[in-house]
Amino acid sequence: MRRHLLGWRIALRLARRDLLKHRARAIIALVMVTLPVLAVVTADILIQTADVSPTEGISRRLGAVATAEVQIFEGRQRVTQGPDPLRDWVAGDELSRATTFADVEGVIGHRSKLAAPTSSELVVRTPHGREAVAAEQADVTAPLARGFYRLDGGRWPAASDEVVVNQAMRDRGVGDTLTIVDRDGTESSRTIVGTIVDATRRSGEVVVGLPGTLPRLTDDGMGQGWLVDGPPLTWSQVQRLNDLGVLVTDRHIASHPDDYPDSMDDGSGDSTTLQVAALIVVMALIEVVLLAGPAFAVGARKQQRSLALLVASGGTPAQARRVILAGGLLLGVAAAVIGVAGGIGAAWLLQPVVQRFNASWLGPFDVPWPHLVAVAAFGLASAVIACVVPAWIASRQNVVAVLAGRRGDAKPTRAFPVLGVVLFGIGVLMAIAGASGRGDLMVAWSAVVCVLGMVLLVPVVVSWVARAAGRFPLPVRFAARDAVRHRTRTTPAVAAVAATVAGVVALGISTSSDEKQNRESYTPNLVMGDASVTPDYGYLDPRPDRPTDWDQVADVVREHAPAARVSPVVGVGQTSTTSWVNVVFADPARTAEDEQISPSSSSSALGTDVVVSDGAQLPSLVASYFSADEGVAETLSAGRAVVLTSDASQTRLDQVAIHVETSDDDGPTVSTPAVTVPATVLYRPDDDVAPLRAILPPSVARRAGVPAATVALDVAQPHLTTEAQKDLQAALQDLPTPAGVYVERGYQADAYTRIVQWVLAALGAILMLGGTLTAMFLALSDARPDLATLAAVGAAPRTRRRVAAAYTFVVSFVGAVLGMLVGFVPGLAVTWPLTAEGYSGSDHVGPYIEIPWLMIAVVVLGLPLLTAVVVGLFTRSRLPMVARVG
Amino acid sequence: MNAPETRPVLELAQVTRIHGAGGLAVHALREVSFETYAGELVAVMGPSGSGKSTLLTLAGGLDQPTSGRVLVEGTDLTAVGSAERAKLRRTSIGYVFQDFNLIPALTAGENVSLPLELDGVPTRAARAAASTALGELGIADLADRFPDEMSGGQQQRVAIARAVVGDRRLILADEPTGALDSVTGEDILRLLRARCDAGAAGVLVTHEPRHAAWADRVVFLRDGAVVDEAGEPMAAVRS
Repeated sequence: MRRHLLGWRIALRLARRDLLKHRARAIIALVMVTLPVLAVVTADILIQTADVSPTEGISRRLGAVATAEVQIFEGRQRVTQGPDPLRDWVAGDELSRATTFADVEGVIGHRSKLAAPTSSELVVRTPHGREAVAAEQADVTAPLARGFYRLDGGRWPAASDEVVVNQAMRDRGVGDTLTIVDRDGTESSRTIVGTIVDATRRSGEVVVGLPGTLPRLTDDGMGQGWLVDGPPLTWSQVQRLNDLGVLVTDRHIASHPDDYPDSMDDGSGDSTTLQVAALIVVMALIEVVLLAGPAFAVGARKQQRSLALLVASGGTPAQARRVILAGGLLLGVAAAVIGVAGGIGAAWLLQPVVQRFNASWLGPFDVPWPHLVAVAAFGLASAVIACVVPAWIASRQNVVAVLAGRRGDAKPTRAFPVLGVVLFGIGVLMAIAGASGRGDLMVAWSAVVCVLGMVLLVPVVVSWVARAAGRFPLPVRFAARDAVRHRTRTTPAVAAVAATVAGVVALGISTSSDEKQNRESYTPNLVMGDASVTPDYGYLDPRPDRPTDWDQVADVVREHAPAARVSPVVGVGQTSTTSWVNVVFADPARTAEDEQISPSSSSSALGTDVVVSDGAQLPSLVASYFSADEGVAETLSAGRAVVLTSDASQTRLDQVAIHVETSDDDGPTVSTPAVTVPATVLYRPDDDVAPLRAILPPSVARRAGVPAATVALDVAQPHLTTEAQKDLQAALQDLPTPAGVYVERGYQADAYTRIVQWVLAALGAILMLGGTLTAMFLALSDARPDLATLAAVGAAPRTRRRVAAAYTFVVSFVGAVLGMLVGFVPGLAVTWPLTAEGYSGSDHVGPYIEIPWLMIAVVVLGLPLLTAVVVGLFTRSRLPMVARVG
Repeated sequence: MNAPETRPVLELAQVTRIHGAGGLAVHALREVSFETYAGELVAVMGPSGSGKSTLLTLAGGLDQPTSGRVLVEGTDLTAVGSAERAKLRRTSIGYVFQDFNLIPALTAGENVSLPLELDGVPTRAARAAASTALGELGIADLADRFPDEMSGGQQQRVAIARAVVGDRRLILADEPTGALDSVTGEDILRLLRARCDAGAAGVLVTHEPRHAAWADRVVFLRDGAVVDEAGEPMAAVRS
């Protein structure tokens, strides 16, 4: 043992002196390991800080004083809850009678209580129009309400016509008077007497008034909650209250969820989470190890003479190995310490930035030490692992050759490439298994296996490139041969680039295929760029008892979109707000069987699914939906109805039976007798989403008793920006018969997907550049004597630049091509099951595979070329002088 | 002959070393036999490529002969594993090379104590032994200097100290004066001679006849074979 420790002491001493002596190289390795540690620590702290833990969150929900909140569930049912009802609870058996607060006091004793703040939506008038904001009602000055709001200016509301608002509400330009729009459309005003800071919301608008002073437009249906003070509740009290149908949020219990039984938590998902975490750690470890690898490989090579001497002085191969590993150990410890300290500092500095993008208040600055220890261990492990191969190679070197001044590399074993092929094959099989139903995690692990296999194949590929390089100009030939001569340095650099590109390509394929699926399965409601205006009453209740004034609506539309062609859409008019009219089409011969004729699905962005038109002025969506040879306009002008069906056999029908049903909540109430009219029945396949079910000529509509009326405005090409659309919407909402506008903008890519793609691309580019440039830097310093020889025999100074550029290109291009090939495996495997099934009810044919060729071309060809050019332009061109011997 | 005093410290018996195989085979040494005894300095001479350095690497156990036996203080290097050979280098064999070959990251003292520390000798004891060895060579004051803070002659003295520290009895010197001026070179050889007179066995590879004059015996190599020997083996003299 003692001897073992002594062996490490020499190794550490040698490693430390070597690192101090070759600072530039040490710093490269240090940076490669430190940066990921720093990034993860920063992200972790920020996430933990933004995440409001149960303990932190409870004060936002109970204020500063209350012991607990009890809420008598309006459903009059027993409940079962976990320690925190916000996370999980279920309703059970019905209770024989409603629970009262006296029943609650029977369990917890008499305590002071306060109605908990209630939250709902509220419509206010701002200079921008009518807007929905959050409203809370609470007895804000009561002792139990302390901690919910902080008064930032002015005073608390004292009367029913006074409110306080937060800064976000003030920023909407409401001044000192707030106009509130009630459900029935009447407006009333409140005086804003103060500005508050809400405990939870930061950027959303909040209005706070005394209880019962603001209209509640929405209700969560949970019933009134009560804040109580006094001693903490016990778990048995909570259970007794649950039996009374009362949900309990106790400050102590909810903030110590692990101390109480949680019958709701079935523990599922833990193993998946663990696997995902393990996967991420493994992938990050591989990437970091590969990125740091070249620096350690060069370090080990530079030490080969020292190690040969060590062996000549009686050191064993294990002792030589230890010297290299000790270097990794020292750098790993340094990287862990610097990374964790720097990460804490960076998180502290970034906290305000994150707050700016977050609608809720962040929790207190939270340093999760157990996580940080794990991340530090990760840094240490990656540095040591990065040294394993260089150490192993160093211990196998030919001591005699090295001492004689020759290169002492042991011959590469043939076993590794074979193992690489085997691993890659296993990875592909795993990917296929994952794609055929074994799950996404299998696919992800297959990526790890493929990457490991690829790493083992890199030396072979590099040697092929070197062999093929004989025909290339000197700089490329030199670079390719140098790459293969210094396999230990080149392999991790190429593999790091490849692993990065593999990840980018795999995720690129899956995200763009996913987006393709979304795009192709998107059904537009209108022709692209068109708009429709339909009645929209918002929270208005009761609704106006007169029909929409379409002339007024059209005037507002024309005012906001002067260029648009506005035409009314005539369809089935809904005559009442409590019942609705449905037109039923059937086979006249089989009306008894109630066999209806209809397409499998239809949308109603036009405000109706049965349009009434003589064919002269069909809404553009309707006109474009039918093909010219279906002759819809002619059919209609000939007085025949056009009816769509998903049953191909019904197209033989020459006439259909129509009757009109009027229904209310309890079912059909009135049904007109069926009328048989001439019709053309058109087939639509199951996966078609039709914009309507039928078009009736006015004469047919009259005969069938269909109440035809204007139901919407068809606004062709209004050229409205989103901002202008918002203004139009606000103006339409302000009408006595309010309406809403919809503009068809086609498929809008999810902003989140876009951001993820950009972040991925940026991260990939950084990793690729980092890996390539460090390898290039190390290669140039390695190649000093060779470049000096080149200079001595008359090479021009720019040769150094060209060699640097060529080396950069060889490393990044070979890596990118390999990475692309590897990335296809998990990329396709994960995309297959992801896009094979459509949404329920639709039978879209999948899988949707889209290879983002442009992105791949940029990554595989563009980035390597760009890097090479940049390196070529910025490398010092002066060639070193011939080095002195020794 | 079997008494400890008369046993050779180094014995090569019919040693052949062939690099490569088939048509590319190079015979570095052909059936070379010779012995070195305690107190004796043997010079090995020969032109470039004659196998001088190969002979030293085999004697130190850094390489293994294709056939024949190499014995160091009675241990057959061809019959023991690499760990045992490494141990012999820590305890019995010391190397001195042409280009000094001190580990640049270690001080003179640490370089000298390296074999002992590698052998598990506690640091304090190893340093004491190193300081004694340096003192015997008259360079105790250099103990804390790094190799690049010393002259070539000083570095080579440190290398000799490293070769003899811990009472090692076989010194293998490969052109130890090759990178030194002639005055300093003579100093180094005087030191080597002195170490041998004090009881060590030395093998000195050189191509300069005047250096060979310090040796008790000269072995001439050509194309890997011993072509001549001048002087009497010590054992013969003693017996």
